[in-house]
Amino acid sequence: MNKNTIIALTFIIVMAFFPLIADSAWLGIGITFLIFACVAFSQDIILGRAGIFNMGHAIFFGIGAYATAILNVQFGFEIIATIPFAIILPVIAAIVLAGPIIHLRGDYLLVATIGFNIIFEQVLKNNPGDITGGPNGIFGIDVVRVFGYELFSDTAIYYIAFGLLLITLLIIRNLDNSRYGRALFYINKDEIAAKSMGINIPYYKLFAFALGAAIAGAAGSVFAIQYSAVSPESFNFMQSVMFFAIVLVGGSASLPGVLIGTFVMFVLPELFTEFNEARYLIFGAAMVLTMVLRPNGVWPASFGNIPKYLKEKVKGAK
Amino acid sequence: MDIFLQQLINGLTIGSLYALVALGYTMVYGVMKLINFAHGDLVAFSAYVGLTVFTQFFGSGATSFVSVIIIFIVTSIIVAFVGVLLERLAYRPLRTAPRLSAVVSALGASLVIQNGIMLIWGPNMQIFPADLLPSTTWNFGGVIISYTQFVILILSAVLMAALYIFINKTKMGTAIRASAIDQDAAKLMGINVNRVIVIIFVIGSMLGAIGGLFIGIYYRALTFDMGWLYGLNAFIAAIIGGIGSIPGAMLGGLMLGLFNALIAGYISTEWAETFTFVLLILILIVRPTGLLGEKTAEKV
Amino acid sequence: MKLGKIAGALALSTMVATTLVAAETVKIGVQAPITGKYANEGQGIANFVKLIVEEKNKAGGLLGKQIEVVTCDDEAKAQKAAICAKKLVNAGVFAVIGSYTSGATEAAQTTYYRNKVLQTSDGTSDSLIKRKYWTFFRNSFPNSAQGNFTADYFINVKKYKKIVVLSDYSSYSAGLADSTVAAIEKLGSKVTFRGKIKSGTQNFTAILTKIKALKPDVIYFSGYYTDGGLIRVQQKQLAIDADFVGGDSNHNPDFIKLAGKTAAGVDIINVPSPDDLPYDAAKKYLQAYEAKFNKKPPSIWAVVNADGLRVIMHGVEQTKSFDTKKISDYLHGMKDFPGITGPVNFRADGERIGASLLVYTIQKDGSYKVSFSK
Repeated sequence: MNKNTIIALTFIIVMAFFPLIADSAWLGIGITFLIFACVAFSQDIILGRAGIFNMGHAIFFGIGAYATAILNVQFGFEIIATIPFAIILPVIAAIVLAGPIIHLRGDYLLVATIGFNIIFEQVLKNNPGDITGGPNGIFGIDVVRVFGYELFSDTAIYYIAFGLLLITLLIIRNLDNSRYGRALFYINKDEIAAKSMGINIPYYKLFAFALGAAIAGAAGSVFAIQYSAVSPESFNFMQSVMFFAIVLVGGSASLPGVLIGTFVMFVLPELFTEFNEARYLIFGAAMVLTMVLRPNGVWPASFGNIPKYLKEKVKGAK
Repeated sequence: MDIFLQQLINGLTIGSLYALVALGYTMVYGVMKLINFAHGDLVAFSAYVGLTVFTQFFGSGATSFVSVIIIFIVTSIIVAFVGVLLERLAYRPLRTAPRLSAVVSALGASLVIQNGIMLIWGPNMQIFPADLLPSTTWNFGGVIISYTQFVILILSAVLMAALYIFINKTKMGTAIRASAIDQDAAKLMGINVNRVIVIIFVIGSMLGAIGGLFIGIYYRALTFDMGWLYGLNAFIAAIIGGIGSIPGAMLGGLMLGLFNALIAGYISTEWAETFTFVLLILILIVRPTGLLGEKTAEKV
Repeated sequence: MKLGKIAGALALSTMVATTLVAAETVKIGVQAPITGKYANEGQGIANFVKLIVEEKNKAGGLLGKQIEVVTCDDEAKAQKAAICAKKLVNAGVFAVIGSYTSGATEAAQTTYYRNKVLQTSDGTSDSLIKRKYWTFFRNSFPNSAQGNFTADYFINVKKYKKIVVLSDYSSYSAGLADSTVAAIEKLGSKVTFRGKIKSGTQNFTAILTKIKALKPDVIYFSGYYTDGGLIRVQQKQLAIDADFVGGDSNHNPDFIKLAGKTAAGVDIINVPSPDDLPYDAAKKYLQAYEAKFNKKPPSIWAVVNADGLRVIMHGVEQTKSFDTKKISDYLHGMKDFPGITGPVNFRADGERIGASLLVYTIQKDGSYKVSFSK
C-alpha cells in the first residue's frame, strides 16, 4: 500500500496547485477530470471492489445533479442546501433499485441496471409533473453562495471539486482498511466462500451500492454547478458505459488505475481535438486493445494477489 | 377492432425485425456467454452498406426484384465478413480472460463500428431510397398492410423457420447446441468449437444484416448511432424470450414489438419505452431466464 | 473567504489583459450542431459565418482587427451546448452565433450572460426571451408569431374543422404547438387532438393509427424535418386522408427526400426562404455562398444567423468598441438595419420585430411554391 500512498500524495499535491498554472480552458478540463474521477472511484467501489456488474451508475450521478438543479431552479433552494439532498436521494434510489435485483447473477444484474438507466433517462425526458425540464433539461442554475460570497469563478469550482475528491479518496482509504472493505473484497473473490464465512452478502452489496451512489450524487451536484445546466443525455446509458469502462480499463480497485482510466476517457479526448471526428473511434479501439493486451487493466491492483517472487519460487521448485 | 388489428400488424412487423437482430445476440451469448454489444452497430452498418451498394451499382431507379436480392446477398456477405473479423480481433484473444474484459472489449468494438460508420459516410443523416420495394398497400376493411410490411413478416418467418430447422436437425446445429451447453465437453466430443463460433457469428451477422436492410427500407432515415438503440431493444427481446434460446429470441422479438405497439397505441406514446423496460426488469426479478430460457441448476 | 473572489478577479483581469495585449485578432464564436441529426443546418450556419468573416477580414477586419472564428459542436444537445458555452467563453470570444435549436441556445444562454458575451440565435422558442438577458438577440421570429399566423390560415383561409396538432418534446416544438393551439382557441375553434412524438424514434405508426380513428382534416406538425418527413410517409401509408402542414423546421431539403412522393401537396409555414428574399443584400450574399461552397444554404436559418453576425459587427463599428454592453445598448436602439432577411430591429428584451410569414406548398417536382401570404 505504500507505493499507492506515495502516488496518491503526489497526485494530490499536483492537483492542488494546478489552477495556478493552468489557463481557463485547461481549468475547465481539470474540473471535469476531478468530478469524473470522483464518479469513477464511486463506481470502483461497486464494480471494482465488490465485483457487482453495475452499468447504470450514471443514474446516481444524474439524481445528484438533477436534485441540485430542481431544488435550486424550481424551488429556490440555495445551492449549499441542495447538497445533502444530492447525496441522500441517490442513496435512497440505490437501495430501492438495487434491492430487488441484488441477488441476480452477473449478466442479469448488468441488464437490469441498463434497464434502470434507460427508464431514468425516459423519466427525465418525459418531464412528469413538469419538474425535470424535458429533453432540454434545466438551465440557469444559480452560483454557489457561502456566507454571502459568490463562488462563481472556475477556480472556486475547481477547489470544490478538489475537496470532494479528497473526501472520496479518504473514504476509500478507510473503506479498504475496514471490515466493510474486506467483506467486499472477499465477496468479489469468491461469493460462496464468503457466504460460508457468515458474511451477509446482500447487506454488503447494498452497502457498496449506497456508498457509491452517495459519492456519485455529490459529484453530480458539482457537475450541475459547473455548467449551470443539466440535461438527460449526460446521464444516459453511454455515460454509464464510460464509467464502467474506466474502472475496467484502468484497473479495478486500483487508485492509479482509476485515475489513469479517467484521464484517458475524459482528458485525452480534449487533447486530441484535432482528431475530433475520430476521437471515439480511437477510444473504442483503445478499449479493445487494452483489454486484449492487459485484460486486468492498465494498472491492476496488487492487493491480495500472490507476489510474483513466490510464484516463481514454486515454479523453480519443480 | 380494425385499429387493434392495425396496431397488431405494425407491432408484429417491428417485432420481426427485433427478432432477426435478437437471434444474433442470443446465439453468441448461448455459446460464449458474452453480450455482443457491437451487434446492434453491425445492424446499422448493414443498412449503410446496403445503401452504398444500391447507389453504386444501380444508380437510382433500377429497382427490379433481382437487384433487390443482389443487394441483400452482397450486403449479408460483407457484414458477415466484418462480423467474423470482429470475433477474431475483439473476442477470441479474450476467451480465457475475465468475463468483464470481454464486455469492455465488446463496448469498445461497438464504438469503433459506430464511429467507423460516421467517418465513412459522414455525420449527416442518410436517406434510403424510397422505392426499393414497391409501395403498394392492401386494404382489408380499414386495416392496411404495405408491401414492405408483408415482405418483412413473411421473410422473417421463413428465415426463423430455416434457422430452427438448422439448429435442431443438422449436425452443425447440434454442435452449436452442444457448445452452448458446455464448451469443454463439446471439445472433448471432438467438436471444433472455434469453427462453431465462427459459424454463429456468420449466421448472426447475416440475420442482423437482413434485419438492418429492412430497417433501412422500412424507416429510411439512417443515423450512425441508430445501431445501439435497435441493438438494445433486440437485446431486451432476447432476454425476455430467454437469452441463449433461439426460439426464445424469436418469441421475445415478436412479443416486444407487439407490446411496444399496443402500449404506444392504447396507453401513451411517451411512456411506451419506459413500460418496456419496466417489463424487462420485472421479468429479470421474477424469471430471469426468460420465457423459454435455460433451465439451469445454478441458482440465479 | 475573499480569496476566491480575489483569485477570480485576478485570473479574469490577467485573461483580459493578455487578450488585449496579444490582440491583433478578435474572436467570434460559433455554437452549432455540426454533427448529429441537424448537421446540415449547423454546417450551413458555420459556413455562412465563415463567408461573412472572410469578407470582413479582407476589407481590413473589425476596427482594424482580424476576426478569428472559434467553433464548437453542440450536436443540438443541451448538455453539449452548456459545455460549448464554457469553452467558447474560456476561448475569449466577445460574441457567439448560436445555436440552431432553441434547446441548445437556452442551455448556453446563462453562461454567456454571466460572462457578458453577446449571443444571437435563430431559436424561435418564446422562452428564450423570458429572462430578458441583455446579451441575447433573437435573429428570427418567435413561435407566438408563427402560431397566430398558422391559426389564422387554418381557421380563416382553409376552414379546417378537425385539427390534429403534433409536436415533439423539445421546448421549441412543444412551444410552437402550444402557441398554435392557443391561437386556434382564441379564434373560437377547438383542436381535436394534441399529441407528442419522440424525435428520432422513426416509427410513428402507433400514434398515427390512433389519429386515423379521429378522421382529421389536417395534421399539423411543429417539430423538425427529420421526423416530419417520416410522419408524412407513414400517414400516407396508413391511408390517412388528411392535409399535412409543417412548421418552419420542416423547411429543409431532407424533408422532401424522406417524404418522397408523399411530399407533394404538403404545406410548410415559414418566413421567406433564401431564394424568395426580395432584398438586395440577399442576392449578393446568396450568390457568394453558392460560389464558395458549391451549394445553396440549407435553409433560411443559416441566413438569419448571418444577419445576426452582421448586425453585431455593425454594432461594433458604430460604437467603435468591443464593449459588449455598449454594443447591446446600440443594437436595442438601432432602426432598420438592412439585413439579408429584411430590415432588422430589436425590442428591448432582445426580440426581433417585424417578420413576415408565408405558406409554401411543395410541388410534385419537389420545388416550393408560395401559396399564401398576408
